[in-house]
Amino acid sequence: MNEWIVFLLLLLAPVVSSIPIALAYKSKGWTEKLPYLSVFGIFVSVVMSLYIFFVFPENQQYTYAWIPELGINFVFMCDYLSRYMGVITAVIAFFIAVYGLDYMKGDYRPSWYWFFFNLFTASMLLVVYSDNLFLLFVGWEGLGAASWGLIGHWFRDDDEITYVGMPKRKVGPLELSWPPSFGGWRAISTIRFGDVPMFLAIAAIWVLAGNLNISEIEWGVLFGTIGTAGTVILLLCILMGLFTKSAQVPFSEWLMTAMTGPTTVSALLHSATMVAAGAFVFIKLTWYIEPWHLHGVSGLEPVYIVVLFVGLLSGLYGALSGSGMLERKVLLASSTMSSIGLMFAAAAASFWVGHFAVLVAFWYMAVHAFAKASLFLVSGHLIHATHSRFLCGGLEFGKRIKPAFIVTFVATTFLVGMPPFTAYWVKSGMDEVMEHLVHDLGFLPLILLILTSLVYAGIMAKFLSLNFIKGEKPHHEHLEGGGLMKLGYSMMVSVLFVLIYLIFKSDETAEFVHAGYAPVSFAVGFAVLIAYVVALYKPQISALSKIGTFFNDRMYLPFANDYILPKTGFFVSHIVQEYGNRGIDGLFNTKVIPGLFGGISKGIRAIQTGYLSRYINIVLGLVMIVLILAAIGGVGL
Amino acid sequence: MMMLYFLLLPLLVACLAPLLAPKKATYLSSLSFMLPFFAILYCIFNGCADIHLTTFSPPIGEISLNFDFISHAFGLTICIVSAMVALFALPYMKHRFEEMELSVEGEFRKYIFLYDLYAASMLWLVYSGNLILLYVFLEIALITAFLLIYFYGYGNRRWVGQLYLIWSLIAGVLTLAGFLIIGINNDTLALFSTDENIKVITTVGKIAWAFIFVGMVIELPVLGPHVWLPWAHAEAPTPVSALLSPLTVGLAGYVLLRIALIDYSFIVTYRNYILAYAILSSIYAGFSVFKQTDFKRLLAYSTVSQMGYMLAALCLGPFGLIGLVIQYMSHAFGKSILFSSAGGIIAVHHGLRDISKMGGLHDSIPTISNAAVIGFLNLGGILTVGMLGEFFILRGVVDTFLKSGSPSFLGWTGGLAIILAVIFMFILSVWYGFYTIRNVFYGKPKDTKRLEISGYLYVPLFIIGILSVLLLFPPLSTALIQGLNAMPGLGLGGVMP
Repeated sequence: MNEWIVFLLLLLAPVVSSIPIALAYKSKGWTEKLPYLSVFGIFVSVVMSLYIFFVFPENQQYTYAWIPELGINFVFMCDYLSRYMGVITAVIAFFIAVYGLDYMKGDYRPSWYWFFFNLFTASMLLVVYSDNLFLLFVGWEGLGAASWGLIGHWFRDDDEITYVGMPKRKVGPLELSWPPSFGGWRAISTIRFGDVPMFLAIAAIWVLAGNLNISEIEWGVLFGTIGTAGTVILLLCILMGLFTKSAQVPFSEWLMTAMTGPTTVSALLHSATMVAAGAFVFIKLTWYIEPWHLHGVSGLEPVYIVVLFVGLLSGLYGALSGSGMLERKVLLASSTMSSIGLMFAAAAASFWVGHFAVLVAFWYMAVHAFAKASLFLVSGHLIHATHSRFLCGGLEFGKRIKPAFIVTFVATTFLVGMPPFTAYWVKSGMDEVMEHLVHDLGFLPLILLILTSLVYAGIMAKFLSLNFIKGEKPHHEHLEGGGLMKLGYSMMVSVLFVLIYLIFKSDETAEFVHAGYAPVSFAVGFAVLIAYVVALYKPQISALSKIGTFFNDRMYLPFANDYILPKTGFFVSHIVQEYGNRGIDGLFNTKVIPGLFGGISKGIRAIQTGYLSRYINIVLGLVMIVLILAAIGGVGL
Repeated sequence: MMMLYFLLLPLLVACLAPLLAPKKATYLSSLSFMLPFFAILYCIFNGCADIHLTTFSPPIGEISLNFDFISHAFGLTICIVSAMVALFALPYMKHRFEEMELSVEGEFRKYIFLYDLYAASMLWLVYSGNLILLYVFLEIALITAFLLIYFYGYGNRRWVGQLYLIWSLIAGVLTLAGFLIIGINNDTLALFSTDENIKVITTVGKIAWAFIFVGMVIELPVLGPHVWLPWAHAEAPTPVSALLSPLTVGLAGYVLLRIALIDYSFIVTYRNYILAYAILSSIYAGFSVFKQTDFKRLLAYSTVSQMGYMLAALCLGPFGLIGLVIQYMSHAFGKSILFSSAGGIIAVHHGLRDISKMGGLHDSIPTISNAAVIGFLNLGGILTVGMLGEFFILRGVVDTFLKSGSPSFLGWTGGLAIILAVIFMFILSVWYGFYTIRNVFYGKPKDTKRLEISGYLYVPLFIIGILSVLLLFPPLSTALIQGLNAMPGLGLGGVMP
């Protein structure tokens, strides 16, 4: 098969297959049938990504002309990262799409949903495979636009179950409750805040390196020519895009309110697209920059330190916030933020540790993707089954919804990093990486990582416990149907077994297994296990409810986003409108200049009335003035 | 020579259409812009030769039609927008005439004549190879637009019409003064010639530049003179707004670009001031948008903000100038869609323009709402041709200010200031765009009944929208950008003075 056909099908099949349903938005009959076509489109992508994985040679670049003179081309790179990530993205999207056939049944605008869902998938695939930074940015913007559409999918804001936050809960002047339409707007406004700097950085690379292909840019030379300050500014501009997309502190708020979207969207957003895209692009850039070879370049080290600590702090912030949360999806969202933080941190550590750290970050992303997607899909099913977005459901309920129970159990245990399940091996690698950093950066990174891991294990156990074991009895139970939903998350979670097989089998990950047998890793793994069991047994501690509320309110970060920023913006708008525009309008158009003309015109017209008396008065007046002047002159003489 | 006939077609139809019934007249008008549209596409891929019309004695010189890629980019935009807005206007203007209690048939004749002449004059303007010809069409566009506002506008339309006329005349006269100085100094007003032996303009000079710059900056407009625009664009009948705002004001950018390509020294001398002014103006207008309660006025302020992009692009060297051209296209597509969707709301919701009374409109008019989304994506440069525009402008920033050895290298502190200002300018348009979408179309619907609306009110908007996406990808972007890049003074061929 020709390569270009593969790429064309991979990227266009999802989009093209969702156009019919977008056009048939009026017909109820068609919008019930056409989702199958959309899912088929994603299936085509799965097949193509697998084809690329098994058939295409590694590290092969494919170039198709776009604007060749300027170096803007369709350039696809099939390297280690993209071959795996492409399959991960496509497969996850496909499972979620199958689940969505059930989950979105009877929705009020299926056309919108499927169109953006498929656009979302295609955009991520574009980000994954493209080697050309401009092409990558097209996918990047596609992610932004599609996430906006999907988060705000239930635009009517009329159903409390789609909100985030406690209705009518006020802290100070702020009501901590957000509707879907707001979630969408905040997502795109935050993302745009990072995208434009990133776009500028891409333009700068275009000028300075004369090339846009990530794998061909001579990064060392580039950093050398622009000097320390240049390197720092350039990389920080790129990182603005990555951090906002990946919801790292302080840009995390949008991710929490993004939970107003349908659960399928959250699942896709958190596993293989969008938030993962930021970390993925960082991993990809680091893969080619190879910072471990560039210790001579000044400016690179401070940037990697920034990324390391932003990642670790986001990790801890996310895990701690999650520990206080009671909303199913928002809890998972903050845990995602935490995981993504760890990915950034691990990838950043490569500056000191080398290539291995990037592999750790990447494999953690893979494991996290399937586990987190499974958990989201389960919580979607639970929301349908209990009509509540808050954690609830006791053991009795858990027994009646066994598949969800089992899947949650598997996904959480495989994700938190307890021995010997999948994430343990990757996490061991991460422990080893942070241990390496002790020499350069002290114990802080390792301590932060271990703290995060423990709290993370706790919140995952809490999620399991409060949904299936120790939670309140749900007010409403609706357990019929949902076959495709169960199928969706069961397939999703089963991939975790495949991953553990791959970790043991593949050469690149042999080091993980090795790290897993190290005493430190085992100690951490054991501590994680204990944290998990304790939290499972005691998911809520009433003595800590005050600090829990503080965490649930995300440590009051919403104030920066919802109070300080908009207040400042509207203050400027107010000044501009009320004083600026009104003032200038008054000067030119409505008051001063028109008034002046009016006055002069009135004055001139006033002497042309035609009455004799007026002219006699004028003449008399003039005579008087002359006389007075003459008198003054006479006195002077 | 074929192109000449295609360009004459809209002028001819302007005279014929008034003889027909409204529907036929509309189709004919639309067709008269679609045919040149395809002809221009043909030219973009295959090229076409300049056409000699006539030669006058100095200081006028040769009058020709010039077919380069800049003209094609502008012409393409003008054709498609005019054709689509003409279709949109059919139900809208009927509705407007009924509302004004005028006879539909009779008024439509007047209206379609003015509309066609207005749009055709803009088309001719961008192909004019002589400044006098260009000026004549600038004035025809001005007067026809004035009459359309004066006859069919909203609110105190006569006052607004006069306001528009006066401001545009000031702009026009200043520009004319500049042109005349150029003519006297060069002994010709020909921008281009069809023969190597015929003289063209080679120098502009500071005084002429100053006149043209001030005139066109009023027309553009930027902060200060910008106050005429919200009146005119908000109170004009919506199809006229949908030409005024996307097409007409940006032509000031076209004139500046043409002059800059002859003599860039004025821009180089005052580059930092002009850029600062442009960015300030754009950000200022961006902030103004948040406070508007009238949807059309809101869009008008957004136009001011976007015109700031164009003026900024003018300062940014060879790639910035490509950015200017693309930015014009992208803004024109976006804003024509947006004004038309504002018109759609007016038409189906009985004159609704107040944003505070909107909210949740997506439920009753999903198609118009979705079109508006595409419109704002264009303004923000997301997944549409605007992305290329932004990219070229950003490259211009790097070329001009950030690369060591570039003409206005500012060092890192100054560079950082420019970076932050430009970034903020671009961010702002997405912020106000999606903020507006949320306020107008989303949120709790006041009325969940889906309204049956005429296809004329939304299908043309989607055609513009689809074109704006197609223009980002090959083969259209390949041909267009290659062509622009190959022009002297633009892109890689351009030398940064």
